[in-house]
Amino acid sequence: MALLEVQNITKRFGGLVAVHEFNLTMDQGQIVALIGPNGAGKTTAFNVIAGYYKADGGKVLLNSREITNLRPDQICGLGLARTFQVVRPFAGISVLDNVMVGAYAHTSDVKIARAKAEEVLELLGLQRMTNQLAKGLPIAIRKRLEIARAVATDPQIMLLDEAMAGLRPMEADEVIGMVRKLSDKGIAILLVEHVMKVVMSLADRIIVLHHGEMIAEGEPADVVKNLQVIEAYLGEANNVTS
Amino acid sequence: MTTQVSAKTSPNSLRNLLHILIGDWDRTQLSISFLLVALMAISPLFISSPYYMGIIILACLYAVIGISWNIVAGFTGQLLIAHIIFLAFGGYTTIVLLNTFRIMPWVGIPLGGVVAALAGWVIALITLRYGLKMDYFALFTIALLVALRTLFLKWDFVGGAVGMYLRLAEPSVPKMIFATKPPYLYIAISLLVFGILVQYQVYRSKMGKYLIAIREDEAAAAALGVNTSKYKTIAVMIGAALAGMSGGFYVMYVTFIDPTGVFNLGVNVEIIMAGPIIGGLGSLLGPILGALVNKPIAELVRGSLAESRSGISLIVYGLFLITSIMVMPKGLAGLCHSLYLRLYRPNKNIE
Repeated sequence: MALLEVQNITKRFGGLVAVHEFNLTMDQGQIVALIGPNGAGKTTAFNVIAGYYKADGGKVLLNSREITNLRPDQICGLGLARTFQVVRPFAGISVLDNVMVGAYAHTSDVKIARAKAEEVLELLGLQRMTNQLAKGLPIAIRKRLEIARAVATDPQIMLLDEAMAGLRPMEADEVIGMVRKLSDKGIAILLVEHVMKVVMSLADRIIVLHHGEMIAEGEPADVVKNLQVIEAYLGEANNVTS
Repeated sequence: MTTQVSAKTSPNSLRNLLHILIGDWDRTQLSISFLLVALMAISPLFISSPYYMGIIILACLYAVIGISWNIVAGFTGQLLIAHIIFLAFGGYTTIVLLNTFRIMPWVGIPLGGVVAALAGWVIALITLRYGLKMDYFALFTIALLVALRTLFLKWDFVGGAVGMYLRLAEPSVPKMIFATKPPYLYIAISLLVFGILVQYQVYRSKMGKYLIAIREDEAAAAALGVNTSKYKTIAVMIGAALAGMSGGFYVMYVTFIDPTGVFNLGVNVEIIMAGPIIGGLGSLLGPILGALVNKPIAELVRGSLAESRSGISLIVYGLFLITSIMVMPKGLAGLCHSLYLRLYRPNKNIE
C-alpha cells in the first residue's frame, strides 16, 4: 500500500489552471523529484498536498487516509511535513527554539521536545548553532534549519521545496547527504528542484510538469532522454546549471 | 570548570542557588520580577502618603494589565489594540454582581475574568472566521470599542452614561472596602504574582513556543503542526481573563466605572500599551518594569504641569513615550538583557 497517493488533483487560479489532474504515488523511503520550468505548477502542487491551497478537484491520501483540504497543521500531525521555497525561519528566536516548535508536534513535554530538537540538530550538523538567533544566520544554515524543523515533526514524508537553491555546490552536496540520511531512515521525500545535478543524484523517480500538466514520469535516466521533456525544459536548464 | 570536590560544599550550593535564580535570562527576569514585587510589598513601611501609595497600587495593577496585553500582543503578535474592552467587561461584571446581585467582589472579580475571557473567545471567533489579521484585526478591535461605548452609554441596566458607583459603606473585608491603602496594595500584589506566574508558565511551555512561532511566521508555524486558530484564541482568552480580573479590582479601588472613561482609546494607550512598550514587548520583565516607570512618570508630568495650559502635560507625556520607543526599541528589558549578557555569560556547561 502506498504511503502517499495523489489522485487527479486540480488547482485553478481564476481562469488559469495551475495544476491539472496531477497524479503521484510514493512509498516509504522513496525520493521523487518534481521538475519543470518556472510556472509549471510545482509549488502549487506542493501547496495543495500540504493543505495550503484548497484543491478544485481530486484527492490526496496519506496511509490510505484522505487528507484533501485538511488544515496544514492537521496534515503535519498525520506525518507530512513541508519546507518553503523562500525559507521562513522564526527570526527572533534561537535555532534550538525554532526546531523545538517542530518537536512539539507529538509531545507537550518540554524535556522530550528539547531532546528531540537536539537530536535533529545533531543529525543535520547544526549543533554548534543551537543558541544563536535565527535572524543572523547565513542562507546555507537557514536552509538546513528549515529542513531540521520539518524533520523534528517526525514526518513519514517530507516535501522539500528547492532546498538547495541559492547554495554553493559544496553546500548543496552537504544537503544532498542529509536528504540521503533522511531517506535511509525511511522518510519518503518529494523534491522540487531546479539543480539537475541534485535531481539526477538523488531521485529514484522524476516527474516533469509543464503548464500544470504531467508530461513525463520515470527513472531519471529515461526522463532526461524524453524528447518532450528536453523541449519543455531540460534544454535550457542544462545550460543554467552547467 | 573547576573540579568539584564535593557536591555539598557551600560554594557549590551557592552556585546551585545562583543557577536557579539567574541561570538563564528567563529565570533572571522572574527573579527580578519577584524582587520588584517584594519591594512593593514592603513599601508601606517607608511610604505613608496615601497619594504615593495610590501610585504604587496603580503601578502594580498596570503591571498585571501590561502582562495580560503582553501575552496577546507581545508573545503572539496579535494587534489587539483595544484591549481595554476586557478591563471594562471585568469591571462592569464585578460591580453589577455586587450592586445588583449582592455577590461579593472576591467572587465577582474572578467571574469578571471569566466574562472577559468569554468576550475574548467571541472576538477571536469572529476575527478568525472572517480572516481578519494584523491591521484589520487592530481596526476591528477599535471599532468594537467604539460600538461598545455607544451600547453601554444607552444601556440603563449598567447605569447608562452615568456609569455605576460602589455603594460606599463601612469598611468591610467581604465587600473589599478598606479605609486605608495597604489592603488594596496587597490585593493588587496578589494579582500581580498570579499574572507573573501565568505569564512565565505560558512562556516556558509548549504553548509559549507556539505563540511565538505564530508571531514570527504564521504559515511556517502551521507547517510545523501549530493549530494557529486554536492557539491565537487561547492567547486572547488568557489575556482577556487577566485584564478582566484587573478591571474588577480597578472598579473596587476607584469605586466607579463609566463608559466614556473605560471605553476610551487614550486611557487604553496610557494604561495598557505604554507600559509593555516602554518595558519591552514580548519579554517577561517588560510589562512590570514598564508599569513601574510609566505610571509614576505619567503622574509626575500630570502633577507638575497641571497648573499650566491644559493639554501641555499630555504633550510632554507623549514626547516621553516617543523618545523612549526611539531610544530603546527593545524596551527597558532589552537594556537589562544586554547588561545581563555582559555581566554574566552563562557557562554552557552549567546550562
